[in-house]
Amino acid sequence: MKKLFVILIIALVAFSAFATGEKEASSEQITLEWWTWDATMADTNNAIIAAYEAEHPNVKINNTIITTDGGAYATQLAIMAQQKNLPDVFTISSGNLEDWAEIGYLRDLDDLIAKDKNIFNMFYKGMFDAVKEVAKTDYYCAIPFAYVSCDLFYNKDMFDAAGLEYPNENWTWDDFLKAAKALTIDKNGDGEIDQWGYYGYGRYAEVQAWVIANNGTLINDKMRFAPDAKALEAFHFFTDLVIKYEVAPMPKDMSAMKYNNLFPNEVCAMFVDGGWQVNDFRTKIGDKFRWGVTRVPNGPSATETWTFGWPDSYVLSPTTKYPDQAWDFAKYVAGAGISADQVMGGKLSAYKAIVESPEFVDMTQQPYGDMELFREHANDKFVTTYTKSWSEWVGYGASETMGLNGAIDSILNKEATFDEAMAKAKDGINKILSRVYP
Amino acid sequence: MAQKQKYKWHSWATPWILLFPTLVGLFVFRLIPIVSSFVLSFSDWNLIRDPVFNGFQNYRELFSDPDFWKIFGNTLKITLGYVAGSMVFGLLLALLVNNKIKGMNFFRAAIYMPVITSSVAVGIVWLRILGPKYGIVDFILKKIGVTAPYWLQDTNLALWTVTFVQVWKMAGYYMILFLAGLQSINKDVLEASVVDGATPVQRLFRVTLPMLSPTTFFVFTVAIMDAFKNFELIYAMTKGGPQNATNTLVYSVYVNAFSYFRVGYAETIAWVLMAVVGGLTIVNFYVKKYWAQPLD
Repeated sequence: MKKLFVILIIALVAFSAFATGEKEASSEQITLEWWTWDATMADTNNAIIAAYEAEHPNVKINNTIITTDGGAYATQLAIMAQQKNLPDVFTISSGNLEDWAEIGYLRDLDDLIAKDKNIFNMFYKGMFDAVKEVAKTDYYCAIPFAYVSCDLFYNKDMFDAAGLEYPNENWTWDDFLKAAKALTIDKNGDGEIDQWGYYGYGRYAEVQAWVIANNGTLINDKMRFAPDAKALEAFHFFTDLVIKYEVAPMPKDMSAMKYNNLFPNEVCAMFVDGGWQVNDFRTKIGDKFRWGVTRVPNGPSATETWTFGWPDSYVLSPTTKYPDQAWDFAKYVAGAGISADQVMGGKLSAYKAIVESPEFVDMTQQPYGDMELFREHANDKFVTTYTKSWSEWVGYGASETMGLNGAIDSILNKEATFDEAMAKAKDGINKILSRVYP
Repeated sequence: MAQKQKYKWHSWATPWILLFPTLVGLFVFRLIPIVSSFVLSFSDWNLIRDPVFNGFQNYRELFSDPDFWKIFGNTLKITLGYVAGSMVFGLLLALLVNNKIKGMNFFRAAIYMPVITSSVAVGIVWLRILGPKYGIVDFILKKIGVTAPYWLQDTNLALWTVTFVQVWKMAGYYMILFLAGLQSINKDVLEASVVDGATPVQRLFRVTLPMLSPTTFFVFTVAIMDAFKNFELIYAMTKGGPQNATNTLVYSVYVNAFSYFRVGYAETIAWVLMAVVGGLTIVNFYVKKYWAQPLD
């Protein structure tokens, strides 16, 4: 009897311990660190977190937003990487994917994707493959949440006043130039142009959009800067808009204004930049004038439609303690758990259901139906120019007056001839590329 | 029972105990970073992987880069312009405000305001003021029939424009230093010179300036060190352009470290900068004995 009693007590204790353990496992509170760089999305991020935490009561998400100004985001992330203390889920620039993947700071996602049979029904596989291409890995290292394209913005009111048809996807460079000439106007006859047909500020998002639209390439197979004939044709066309045809001002004449304020301030009729300007222009322009967005016209040497763009992605820390939960949250925030209005206007979501939803083309705000363009981009061939040390050879951020950008500035500002500037750029850029690709 | 030795507050250990927090701070936040920086200047480090020792490769690359010599030249030019401008304008302003007129404190505060204003804010405002076509200066000059130059976009002018803005911002600081020096000059000597028939110009050059020489030496030394702190203005106004025309050693350190993530190479530039500043300061202290002596 006594023996039976002891056995019963032991069984009871063992059962209680097991039950307690199970309860602890299911109610274990975990915190995931999520880093992003866009302060304008803070409210959206908080709404996403609130919704996720409501569905997952044992998961807490800490969102840290660090601006990319001055390289702050990348620097802080690099320091965290050195300390082996990366956030569980974080945004990373496409320009850093190759370096980070090479060192092993991006978790291999193949095992998580293999377990997730539905992933490529939910997300565009093409975007996942594009990330692999940029990172130069043979495994999936990031989950894309958007594709950023570079497109042509135009002022519809100016086109109407000049009696011109709006730009469309069948436009050629000749059509573009004709329109730009007609839209370059000295309104008060004082000899100074008051309205320019186009503004080209000479940065990568604009310059390379023209190169890619002509199916040009800048980097050859040996990872050296070697613009082909199509790329040079595009450079000539773009710089001639200022130098020869005078339908665009010299950037130095417009330096009192931030480059992306000229279009909203009606100084120019057309402007090429990243799709993120949709969000910016909606705020700056409001209902001041009507505007639209379309593709950068295909160049005369283009045999296919290429779009200059790149993926924005989330990656998982290789040392995350909670890979399954981090993957679940990354998918959620990349599209599975968000709505069309939580995707920044002008970016192509990687999540099919969002792009295919009626809400993706927001007919309540500009550019209204032109937002179909971003839906069409889902089937485009996207081309990027990212390499290691990309920001150094292109000239980006604090070094935007140097590198390829600096060379283009010197042409546009009539400080150097085209050949002089491109020769100097080639020497400088290849010095950089030969250092990182020996 | 043996008596416990009582701690005596005047023991040899007391000063060290009191100094210990400061020494720890100096060691951790000054000495270790300085030594680390020097060691890293001999390495290839991009922040995300471990530093790799590469000997003198960074120094060889730096000294063989034509852009480096242009940047070095820019740094010396901006130093020359800034030191001369700050000292001259600082002294002129100090002479002007060294008067017991009602309301003078307002002017002293107004002149000092740019000193305490953020450099980035100053840079952005001057960028708009000097902007072609839409800037105030361009607008006024056009009204009087003058074509304004490209203040910040002309490769020959941009550096001097940035220097001017830096002088404008900091002249108030040197004004205060000179003002303190002027107010410490013995009034009897000045009165004696008036009695002896010295003109105001003679008083300035024969009495005031010689007696101000210790202050002038101090201002000169501080201005040299300050001349190299031009990162924020360049970042806000020109980003080192056009065509490296306003790129300086300090700006180059930043760009290499935080844009290109070439931290080892950035450290190399920083040590060259350290050598330049240190060298100028040592030369300054050496020649001090020839000119910076107060009159007895």
